[in-house]
Amino acid sequence: MADHQLSKTFPVKPKLKPKPRTQKQTPESKYWSSFKTQQIPNVISSITSLAFSPNPPFPFAAAHSASLTLFSSQTFSPTATISSFSDVVSSASFRCDGLLLAAADLSGLVQVFDVKTRTPLRKLRSHTRPARFVKYPIADKLHLISGGDDALVKYWDVAGETVISEMPGHKDYVRCGDCSPVSSEMFATGSYDHTVKLWDVRVTDLRRLAIEVNHGSPVEDVIFLPSGGLIATAGGNSVKIWDLIGGGKMMCSMESHNKTVTSLCVGMMAKDTGEASRQYRILSAGLDGYMKVFDYSKMKVTHSMRFPAPLMSVAFSPDCATRVIGTSNGIIYAGRRKSKESKEEERRELGGFSSLGATEDEPRRRALKPSYFRYFQRGQGEKPSERDYLVTRTKGVKLAEHDKLLKKFRHKQALVSVLRCKNPANVVAVMEELVSRKKLLKCVENLDLEELGALLAFLHKYSTVPAYSALLIGLTKKVVEMRAEDIGASDELKSHVRNLKRSVEEEIRIQQSLQEIQGIISPLLRLAGRR
Amino acid sequence: MISGGKSYVAAAPAFSNDAKRLLLCAGSSVAVFSTSTGLQISSLEGHTAAVTSVVVVPASSPAGKVLCFCWTASLDGTIRYWDFSVPELMKTIEIKMPIHSMVIPSILDQAAKGEEKKSNVFAYISVEDTNMEEGRAKYLRGQIRKCNLTESRLDGGNILGKTQSPEFITISPSGKFFGIRNKRKLHIWKVPAKDSERFGIKKISLHHTKKLTILAFHPTERIVAAGDLTGRILIWRDFGSQTFATSEKSASGRLIDNEGKKPGVRGDDEADVCSTWHWHSTEVNVLSFSSDGAYLYSGGREGVLVVWQLDTGKKKFLPRIGSPLLYFTDSPDPSISSISCADNRVHILKMPSMEILKSISGIKLPFSFPEINEGPCSKFAFDQSAGLVALRTENYCIQFFNLFDDREMSEVQVCERNHQPGDEVTVVVTAVALSLDGSVMCTAEVKLPEDGIGALVCLKFWESESLNKNFSLSTVIYEPHRDAGISTVVFHPRRRMAVSSSYGRDFKLWISNDEILQNREALQNSGWMCHSVGSYKKKPMTAAAFSADGSVLAVAAETVITLWDPENNVLVAVLGEIETPITSLSFAGKSDCLISVSQGSKPQLSVWSMSKLSVSWSYKLQVEDIACAVDLSMFAVLVLLPKSSSVMESNGRTFQERDGLILLFNTTDPVPVATWSVRKAKGGGLGFIRGNRPSLEQNVSDGEPSDSLLVYINGDHEYVVFDPHGEKVRVLSLTRRKELVALEDTEHFGYSSIYGELPEFELKKTNQNLLAPSVPSGRPWETIFSGSSHNLPPLTKLCSAFLESLLERRTPTVE
Repeated sequence: MADHQLSKTFPVKPKLKPKPRTQKQTPESKYWSSFKTQQIPNVISSITSLAFSPNPPFPFAAAHSASLTLFSSQTFSPTATISSFSDVVSSASFRCDGLLLAAADLSGLVQVFDVKTRTPLRKLRSHTRPARFVKYPIADKLHLISGGDDALVKYWDVAGETVISEMPGHKDYVRCGDCSPVSSEMFATGSYDHTVKLWDVRVTDLRRLAIEVNHGSPVEDVIFLPSGGLIATAGGNSVKIWDLIGGGKMMCSMESHNKTVTSLCVGMMAKDTGEASRQYRILSAGLDGYMKVFDYSKMKVTHSMRFPAPLMSVAFSPDCATRVIGTSNGIIYAGRRKSKESKEEERRELGGFSSLGATEDEPRRRALKPSYFRYFQRGQGEKPSERDYLVTRTKGVKLAEHDKLLKKFRHKQALVSVLRCKNPANVVAVMEELVSRKKLLKCVENLDLEELGALLAFLHKYSTVPAYSALLIGLTKKVVEMRAEDIGASDELKSHVRNLKRSVEEEIRIQQSLQEIQGIISPLLRLAGRR
Repeated sequence: MISGGKSYVAAAPAFSNDAKRLLLCAGSSVAVFSTSTGLQISSLEGHTAAVTSVVVVPASSPAGKVLCFCWTASLDGTIRYWDFSVPELMKTIEIKMPIHSMVIPSILDQAAKGEEKKSNVFAYISVEDTNMEEGRAKYLRGQIRKCNLTESRLDGGNILGKTQSPEFITISPSGKFFGIRNKRKLHIWKVPAKDSERFGIKKISLHHTKKLTILAFHPTERIVAAGDLTGRILIWRDFGSQTFATSEKSASGRLIDNEGKKPGVRGDDEADVCSTWHWHSTEVNVLSFSSDGAYLYSGGREGVLVVWQLDTGKKKFLPRIGSPLLYFTDSPDPSISSISCADNRVHILKMPSMEILKSISGIKLPFSFPEINEGPCSKFAFDQSAGLVALRTENYCIQFFNLFDDREMSEVQVCERNHQPGDEVTVVVTAVALSLDGSVMCTAEVKLPEDGIGALVCLKFWESESLNKNFSLSTVIYEPHRDAGISTVVFHPRRRMAVSSSYGRDFKLWISNDEILQNREALQNSGWMCHSVGSYKKKPMTAAAFSADGSVLAVAAETVITLWDPENNVLVAVLGEIETPITSLSFAGKSDCLISVSQGSKPQLSVWSMSKLSVSWSYKLQVEDIACAVDLSMFAVLVLLPKSSSVMESNGRTFQERDGLILLFNTTDPVPVATWSVRKAKGGGLGFIRGNRPSLEQNVSDGEPSDSLLVYINGDHEYVVFDPHGEKVRVLSLTRRKELVALEDTEHFGYSSIYGELPEFELKKTNQNLLAPSVPSGRPWETIFSGSSHNLPPLTKLCSAFLESLLERRTPTVE
């Protein structure tokens, strides 16, 4: 037999809200939305390319119009601008040590800059049409890959400013390319002739072509996935993943963008627990303004994010802390995630400032003796260790002011006090409780003018909210009927009623237009159902 | 046959002398409960009608505390004398008039004096005079009479008082006075001393302007308190100082010199002062002085026990008991007392702090619902396998009551709302349904609107993991059928599916999420959701039922029955028309028969054949409830007898007070297999439960285990469980394990609670005596020699005790 204690008191609770069927936040989406996005304005025209330096502190370069701006990835403030271009910059790429930066522009010129001094060290001139991409191979410091609208892919010796080999084969503009992360001699290029070609400069054959895959639409971007065996291509509104080791077989195709996908990059899920738990994702940005995160091991879009402008480029920093997205109207959406280490660093910095000259080591702990007061409090603030069994104290019911008043049967005061609290769900809950005590109308009758004004203001604000309207519309009617004389006598109340009238009229308009829509839709639905 | 579900609060309980047992009047028997465990120990069976009072013979000396004798009076016109430790009937006295109340002043008196001499024991009883012919306008049925219990006779012709109806007699704790309330008057008699028996018994009356409800006497002084209908408590001091003066000179030391001013006293009532306290808002039902006379306890409909300090009038409260209070009983142990509540629950209180130590819960009593729907709501839900019944209670709970053990299993708070006992009921649990395996419960509740606004219907699904029926809320659905009320909720027999039909012209099939996604991952998001909606010609759906295999769903659309495929939500067939709306549908077990019940002006019970889609047979019967066994082709109906037939019944003896019939039908045969006539069928219910529970050790005479037992619960929630297949009601040998819980004397009180047990083993011996009837103490020498050697009593004392423990003990004889 259950030990029956005195009956519990239940506080007045608002109705439960329906839970969404699917969980609102998966851990994945939580991770991706933990990048606090901020805008970097004052960049003119479309951001055609974004590139991160591979070395800490991972500054990034944004190509826009005829200049290239370097930003700090910590503060997102521009640190330097290179503007020695004669035409629009189309692509930029850092060397593996982060000291040099290559950039291509639409005049066909490819330049190599010293990042520190911003002076052009080499000018590689060979493309006759606009150069569209330039890329440093992963571990190679001496060579460059570039491609352009002349449908040629060129392999450069940077020091000598000479083309080592020129790879023909594309039948249309070459728009993108990437270098293999495992071999500095292999790279893939994508072209508007719908194909992605994989080149290997070691192949002695003049054409140096290894594999060719057909994406099916003009290829906007191509990237190698970190394993080196897969490539992802973007073209049209689809992203496709190809298995290179398996001879160029398509593994999957993601078609969740509505417009052309313009840029791809590899993102990482960095768990704070360690390197082993790093998981790779494909970030894709499209002209529809969506940035999507694609988990290619599960073949599933795990997160998507909407931006108010067509997206042109996306990049993700190697330390997983920064994500930048360039739009066509010259705004960079940069997001930075607070990792644990950075937090700790911050704290250390703060601590450093506060305890400037203080000794580093902890203050010596005095042994507690019964003569100290603290002796009697020892161990009280002890945190439970992991394996301790916790005996939880039964929590008392927390009663709000209106609950206490309801307990004392002071109904009007309860209503007034909850109206003051500004939480509409609680107000409706108290009203419902009063209804079940058959006291609500009595309360309304007894309200003085000021309190009546508060009630009318509440009704004006919430009586058309669908969650509360079932009760409040009926109540509004009653209130206006019962207190008509008082309302007529006071100007303030009159204005409340005027507001109320306006919101009711608006609601009626909404209802009418909704009914119109329903009238349009229902025959369509019926037809669809018949089929 | 198992019967139970008796009300424990029909009459005031009584404590045994050692306050370890509580005697509750439970219908025609007296149930003895242990106060330390709250479980039933034994019951005194013998009376044939409701027991109305229990008087425990008090102990005259501390050694007498082990004595367990009591007098009981009953409506069957007998007074019986029991030894409730064994339990054994010792004496029966025939009075031949229904006794409504009994007090025995002389035993109280005797206890005070510590007299050993056996003298005549007199009882004062309140009886109902049934001899007088009826029909007279001024008809005083209640009589107060005196009765000699030792000689088993009524004191001839001596009627002390007459009232319109039999009254409850209150006696003063000292045994000197007793009194009754009679409308706006109190009548107080003084119990005559033994030597002055031939004189008439003296009587005074005290007057008030309101109808009095209760009175109480002060234990030592001449103070009487009374409560009235408006919640006032009146306290008269020094009542009857003239009339009762002859024998009681010392008490009225203050002579009546101030006759002119008797503040508060009405007319020429014999009392010095009358003071009034007012806290209760409605009538006072409980009034009692504490044993030392310093406090007065009062209670009423609010469910708050108020403790008044008698001298100052200061108040202390025990709030939120949750139900109107009916009785407050003191025990000989000043630290324990009990309060009986109207929801059939007795709380045992630890006194100075007023904590609830234990609660003894009986089945919840019926209460009046406001009329919402025309049809009957499902009053009871039976858990067939566990032998449980789920009942709705007034404070928005569902009580699970074990029919075999006759005790409460658990209580589920359906609506989280503070229940105020006196309030008008505005939130009602209208329907409760249990799935076949008992793991899922569905409840529907209705909140009544105030002046047309704020109505709410709410459907809730509850799930329990374990057998102890701790249900936790799984899903809440607000307004499942817009604002229309729910007529029925039924679970699918195999799957996790339920159907709710509403008066709002549609029915909905609900399905559990776990069924959809079988993987365990999504379980944390489990819940019930709507699977499909159906309606038929915009008619109100009044009843629903699933067939035994769950392939057919029958929904009654007012007067026609629609058959659906629950999976695909397709209308399969429509069955013919009945004149009045159908209120209940059920499939009869394995057979292909559907039974429909309609009530109203043209009640009808029809059995439909599913293979022919037509009526097999039908009766014109006013059916109160229907029950179908899951695995049989039988069904039982509870039929209300029309008034006319019971009047014209020639042999009125058999149908006296019997207003219902249980008919057991086979679906193929319109002739009932068996019939039983029952009492209080209005508001009753029927159900089949599975009988062969491992814990229920029943031995049916013919060896073959009976599958299903029929439960009948009457309008007062008393129930009977019996095997419907026997030729006559075979009495299952009632081996309900009576929880012969030995009284563990873990609780100390008085001296021992402060200083611990006395080292002498005299006390120990009495304790062992006390234990002797229930548990023969196994090896008492262990207890004798326990403890460190320097604490042990001298060897000479120990030796006798040790030898005594080796000898076989005779049962203590008590005279």
